[in-house]
Amino acid sequence: MTDPVLKVVEELKGLGGVVEEIKDREVYLVVDRDRLKSLAKALYSAGAYLKTCAGVDERQVQGVLSIYYMFGLDELGTDVILRVPVAEEDAKIPTIVPEVPAADWCELEARDMVGIEIVGRPVRRLVLPEDWPEGVHPLRKDFNYSTRPPRGFKSEASEEVGVPLGPYHPALHEPEYFELYVEGEKVVDVAYRGFHVHRGIEKLAESPRFTYKQVPFLAERICGICGFVHSSCYVMAVEKAAGIEVPERAEFIRSIVLEVERLHSHLLWLGVAAHLLGYDAGFMHAWRIREHTMVLAEYLTGSRKTYGINIIGGVRKDLNVDKLDKTLKTLATVREEFVKLAEVVLSVPQIRSRASGTGVLSRSEARALSVVGPVARASGLYRDVRKDYPYFAYKEVSFRVPLYTEGDNLARLLVRVEEVLESIEIIKQLVDKLPGGPIAVESWDVPPYRRAVAAIEAPRGEDVHFIITGVGKPYRWRVRAPTYQNIPALRAMLRGAPLADVPLTIASIDPCFSCTDRVVVYDVRTGGRRVLRISEGVSPCPL
Amino acid sequence: MSLVKIFEIALKTGRVTRRYPVEEPLITPEFRGSIEVDPTKCWGCGACVKICPPNALTLTPSGKGLILEYFVGRCIFCGMCAEVCPAKAITVTKKFELASANLRDLRFRVVHKVLRCSICGAPIAAEAEVRAVVKASPTSEEYALLCPKCRKEKFSKSVGLRVGASSGRSS
Repeated sequence: MTDPVLKVVEELKGLGGVVEEIKDREVYLVVDRDRLKSLAKALYSAGAYLKTCAGVDERQVQGVLSIYYMFGLDELGTDVILRVPVAEEDAKIPTIVPEVPAADWCELEARDMVGIEIVGRPVRRLVLPEDWPEGVHPLRKDFNYSTRPPRGFKSEASEEVGVPLGPYHPALHEPEYFELYVEGEKVVDVAYRGFHVHRGIEKLAESPRFTYKQVPFLAERICGICGFVHSSCYVMAVEKAAGIEVPERAEFIRSIVLEVERLHSHLLWLGVAAHLLGYDAGFMHAWRIREHTMVLAEYLTGSRKTYGINIIGGVRKDLNVDKLDKTLKTLATVREEFVKLAEVVLSVPQIRSRASGTGVLSRSEARALSVVGPVARASGLYRDVRKDYPYFAYKEVSFRVPLYTEGDNLARLLVRVEEVLESIEIIKQLVDKLPGGPIAVESWDVPPYRRAVAAIEAPRGEDVHFIITGVGKPYRWRVRAPTYQNIPALRAMLRGAPLADVPLTIASIDPCFSCTDRVVVYDVRTGGRRVLRISEGVSPCPL
Repeated sequence: MSLVKIFEIALKTGRVTRRYPVEEPLITPEFRGSIEVDPTKCWGCGACVKICPPNALTLTPSGKGLILEYFVGRCIFCGMCAEVCPAKAITVTKKFELASANLRDLRFRVVHKVLRCSICGAPIAAEAEVRAVVKASPTSEEYALLCPKCRKEKFSKSVGLRVGASSGRSS
C-alpha cells in the first residue's frame, strides 16, 4: 500500500468509512448509507473512476443486503470498494448519481436484481422486463434459478402498435433499441432500452450444477467477440480471491491470446465501420486480414472463438516452437497488409469528412460517465488497465497507449488503428520473452467468503469481474462488460447530431449488445413515429 | 488516389476464399470438434458428466441399464471430458460437419450393465467401473460387489469379530 493510497484511505476514514480489509491493490471499506454520498464524492474528486456497483444478497453470511461500489484509483493502480449494508426490512440506499453520474445503470440494476430501493432519483426498470412481477428479485438467494414466475403481458393503452421489423446482422449488431427524438434532421434526445437478451448468467453460475471449474466456459460465452477477456477476468478474480499463484508461462500465454483477440476484434470493427460508411471494399479487406488472426487463434487454442483454454490456476494448452513461429509469421503478414489498408481507408475523403467532428464526447463528459477503452482514450483520458493495473505479463512489455483529445468518431477510429500496431508489437515481445515451466498449478483450493475485483483491458475497454467466493462455487459473481459503461455516453455524443451521423456514432463505441439494427425516430414537432434501419440513408458506395 | 490503391491490393491478393466443400476445409491441426466415446473402454463412472459445462453428457439409469448419452446439440467442444476421463475412453475428433435433419443423429449412447449388490440386490454402479476399480486397487472382490449399505454392515461385523477375537486373546 503506497502513501498516496493511504492518504485517500485516511480521508475516507475521516468521513466515516470503516476499513474492513486491506489487500495489495484493493481496499474494502464499510460505510453507513447516510455517509455514502460524501465518500463517493471524495473518491470521485480524488480522481477515482467508478468501475461499477453490485447488489449482493448477503443475508446468509452477514444478515444484510449490500451494494458494493467499486472505485478505481487508476493513477495509483488501486481499487477502493465501498460496501453499504442495509437491513432487509429497510432496504433503501440514497443515490450517488448527482455525485457520480456513472452510477446510473448499476444502481438501477441492483434495484431490479436484489431489490434495494434507490432513494432520491427517478427510478425505472433497467434489466427486468416490464411484465416481470413486482417484488421478485432474481439475484436474491431465496429465488431459485429454475423458478419461472408468472408473466402477464401488459397491453399498452394505445391501439396502434409499432412492430419493429428489422434485418438481423449477426456479425456485430445485436438487439438494441434507441429512441431518437428529432427536430427535423437534428437529434434532440436519445433514450436507450437494452437488456433484451439478458441471459441471467450471474444467476446461472449460482445454480447447483456449476462449480468453479465450469464457470470459465460460461464466462467465455458472455461475449462472442471478446470471450477470452471474460474467462480471463473470471479466473483472475478467483485466483486473486484465493491467492493462487499462476505460473509465469501461463500468464504469458494468456496475454498473447488476449492480444490476438484484440487484433481480430479491432479488425472486425474497422470493417464494420467502413461498411456503415458505405465503403464495402474496405470492409471486405479488413475482414480478409482479420481471417489470418482467426486461423492463428485456432492454431494456438483449438478454436477460432471461445478458445476454452482458461482454467483456474493456468491454461490448458501450451505453445511450442511451431506455434510461436506461426505466430510471428502471421503477425508479419497482418502488419504489412494492415498498414496498407489503413493508409487507403484513412485517405478516403468521405471517411475522413464523415468521421471528423461527429459524435463528439468531451473530456469532462467522458470523465463524469467513467467511460472506458478506446472511447475514453479518444476523449483525452489516459485509461488503460494494462498500464494502470498491470496484470498477467503486461508488466514485462513496453507499449504505447494511443491518446487523442478530439473525442470524435475519427479519434476513436485512429485509436483502434494504432492499437492494432501496438498489439502486434506486444505479442512479438511476449513471444520473445516467453519463459519455460509449467502452464498450470497442480492443485488449488478456494476458501469461502473471500472477495476480489479483477479488471482486464478488453478491445472495447475495461472489463470488470467482482467475486465473492462460496463453497465449491462463487457466492456472488458480478460481471461488468465495457459496453455497459460506454452506452450512457452515446446520449452525450448524439445530442445535437444530424440523423445521418447516428449509425456511425453508435458503432464508434464498438457496442457489444446483440443487435437488430433498428431505431425508432420520434419527430417532436409532429409527434410522428417511424422505424428506421440503422444502415438506412447510407449510400452504397461513396467512391 | 485510394480507388486505385485498393484495386492494386485486390489484384495482388486474388481469391482467398476456399471452394469448400469441394476443397478441403480450413482447419488447423489443433482444431477441437465433436467427441467420440469408445464403448469398449468407457467405465460409466460419470467423471465427464460432472465436468461438462453445458450438460451435453448425461448419465441416466433406465430399465436397460446405465445410459451415458452424448448430445452433440449441446456440446461446446471444449474437450474437458477427454481431459478428466480416467479410462481414456474419450477422444476429441476434428469432426465439425454435424448438422442433421434428424435429432436422433445427434445423440450417441453407451449402455452400461448395472452391477447389483450380491446380498440385497440394490444397484451399485456400472459393471465396467467396478471391474476397473477391482483391477486398479487390491480391494477384495467380495466388498466391491456389495452396495454401500451391505458393505458397511459386512465390514463392521468382521471388524467386530476381529476386535472380539483379539480382546479374547489378550485377556
